Amino acid sequence: MYQKTVTITAKHGIHTRPAALLVKKAKSFDCDILVECNGKQASAKSLFKLQTLGLYYGIEVKVIADGEQAEQAVEEVSELLITLS
Amino acid sequence: MSIKGIVVSSGVAFGQALHLNLHHEKIDYRRLPTAQIADEQRKLTQAFNKQKCHLEEGLAKLEVGSDHYDLIEADILFLDDESLLELVLAEVEQLQINAAVAIERVFALQASELEQLDDPYLANRAQDVLCLGSRLIARLSGAQHLDLSQLTQPTIILAHDLTPAEFAMLPLEHIAGLVLNTGGLTSHTAILARSAGLPALLSCQFTRTQIHNGDEVVLNGIDGELHLKPNAETFKKLTELRLQDEAHKQQLLLLKDLPTKTLDGHSVGLLANVGSLNEISHLTDVGAEGIGLFRTEFMLMNTTTIPSEKIQYHFYCDALHLMDGKPFTIRTLDVGADKELPCLNPACEDNPALGVRGIRYTFAHPEILITQLKAILRAANHGPIRLMFPMLNQVEELDTLFELIEQCKVSLNEEEKGFGQLSYGIVVETPAAVINLESMLPRLDFISIGTNDLTQYAMAADRTNPQLTRDYPSLSPAILTLIQMTIDSAQKHNVKVSLCGELASDPIVAPLLVGMGIDELSVNLASLLEVKSAIRASSHQVCLEMAKQAHKLKRIEELNLYLTGLNL
Repeated sequence: MYQKTVTITAKHGIHTRPAALLVKKAKSFDCDILVECNGKQASAKSLFKLQTLGLYYGIEVKVIADGEQAEQAVEEVSELLITLS
Repeated sequence: MSIKGIVVSSGVAFGQALHLNLHHEKIDYRRLPTAQIADEQRKLTQAFNKQKCHLEEGLAKLEVGSDHYDLIEADILFLDDESLLELVLAEVEQLQINAAVAIERVFALQASELEQLDDPYLANRAQDVLCLGSRLIARLSGAQHLDLSQLTQPTIILAHDLTPAEFAMLPLEHIAGLVLNTGGLTSHTAILARSAGLPALLSCQFTRTQIHNGDEVVLNGIDGELHLKPNAETFKKLTELRLQDEAHKQQLLLLKDLPTKTLDGHSVGLLANVGSLNEISHLTDVGAEGIGLFRTEFMLMNTTTIPSEKIQYHFYCDALHLMDGKPFTIRTLDVGADKELPCLNPACEDNPALGVRGIRYTFAHPEILITQLKAILRAANHGPIRLMFPMLNQVEELDTLFELIEQCKVSLNEEEKGFGQLSYGIVVETPAAVINLESMLPRLDFISIGTNDLTQYAMAADRTNPQLTRDYPSLSPAILTLIQMTIDSAQKHNVKVSLCGELASDPIVAPLLVGMGIDELSVNLASLLEVKSAIRASSHQVCLEMAKQAHKLKRIEELNLYLTGLNL
């Protein structure tokens, strides 16, 4: 299992469009990817669950993955989280 | 026969009526027999798939990266989400409920979770989710989404409501106009219609029995009427109206980049009243010189919590970025009476118009005001901001405000957050403020006359009470006198006077206001070019004469006749 903590820099938070990009990225991996924030967890592959986390500007987010290519998945998803705007 | 509506995008449109049946019938809440569960689940999966196909078809017609593309793509991803579908399927089975009830439950829960997020942008998504749910339920009840790609005739779309995504999927080349029953969800749709130049009426209470698909209808988006089967005479009149309107709009657009000056070179500031970032991005379409009134309460309309200092700060910074150095006037939160916000749980008052509203509300809830003041002070580091306060009567209120502002600066210093300088003003909107103005002017950089409330308080007539329309005249000798008193006081103290009420948006009245000595008018975007045209067509000499004459007229009717007569 791999994990990494990043801070959201998107001014308006990870709303519809960036969240959709995140889901697309997560779906390109076979492993399970979780996003944790505010004490809540959601699958990075589910827009429906991801939305309710409240990924807004300045908040710390933990990305956790388990399974095939877990390390690469964590790296790519967290990279996307900090570059989205 | 004609039906009234509210014009949100002007113009005259002819076409065949077409109802978009996007809304669902009544939901059946009865318990589902066990034998029907599997069938119900199958229908549910089908509804998801059909809606997804429909959206994908729409998406294929749009340019990648356009505003609506993202909205639609997000809806597709949402429907694609297996965990969502699984949850709804499980509800049907476990609770033995209809597919429609399950969708309603799951989507409502999701929306309420989103609404609780401490971020207006994310929380706004709740509306989209509810709408998507309602469209899925419509699919279940067999409502067919019409295939609009087959349209060949100019068509006027009639619907209960329409989301921005649905608007984006309309084949605009065949759509002549849009008429909706609601306002609500559709404010963004109204803006889209306006920017597409599509005539649109909102809050138009047509029924499906009055108008059938294929009926000839005319949308009069000048006077706010939908005409059903117009007779030859009406048809001719409306045709002429359309030609005039189109020629007129072309003429107005030519004024976009010209200065707001009278024939003899007297300059007047012409700014816009807006309430959202989206509207700010349309300022240049009409050549607005800046914002004379930014209503911050609209930022809070769709949320259940007050946005934090940080969120507000970013919001104002975004606005400043769009403004690019042009005047940007923010009015602090102005709630109460007709402007109730879900996140503030307003108190029940016998007489809300005379109750805890405007600055009184924020004084009663200083934490809200302090959050806003700090966010604005910080944003002022990134561009010029003029800040004004609503509903002040007395200089003591100004004392309290400036003390609060000092406190905010102290705490920002302690928090090591930078802040900038603001210009300060008040909205003059009570007779007391007019009378007491001279005591406040030495401490102000500008004032803005809010004629809507000033009229309501001068006439003691609740402007939301339909029985009092006649007791609430927008133009009257009393209001002209109050405006003149305000201007005279301000000029004595060399303080700039703006006017941001509806009165400024009336092209017939604008030259009169110029003659009375107003420095700046702030009007809604749709009227801006009309007002500019009226000012550019007058000479300052004539404006001054108009003011002199108007002050002599003591009857409302005489006043109206005099002003309309000048424009004949």
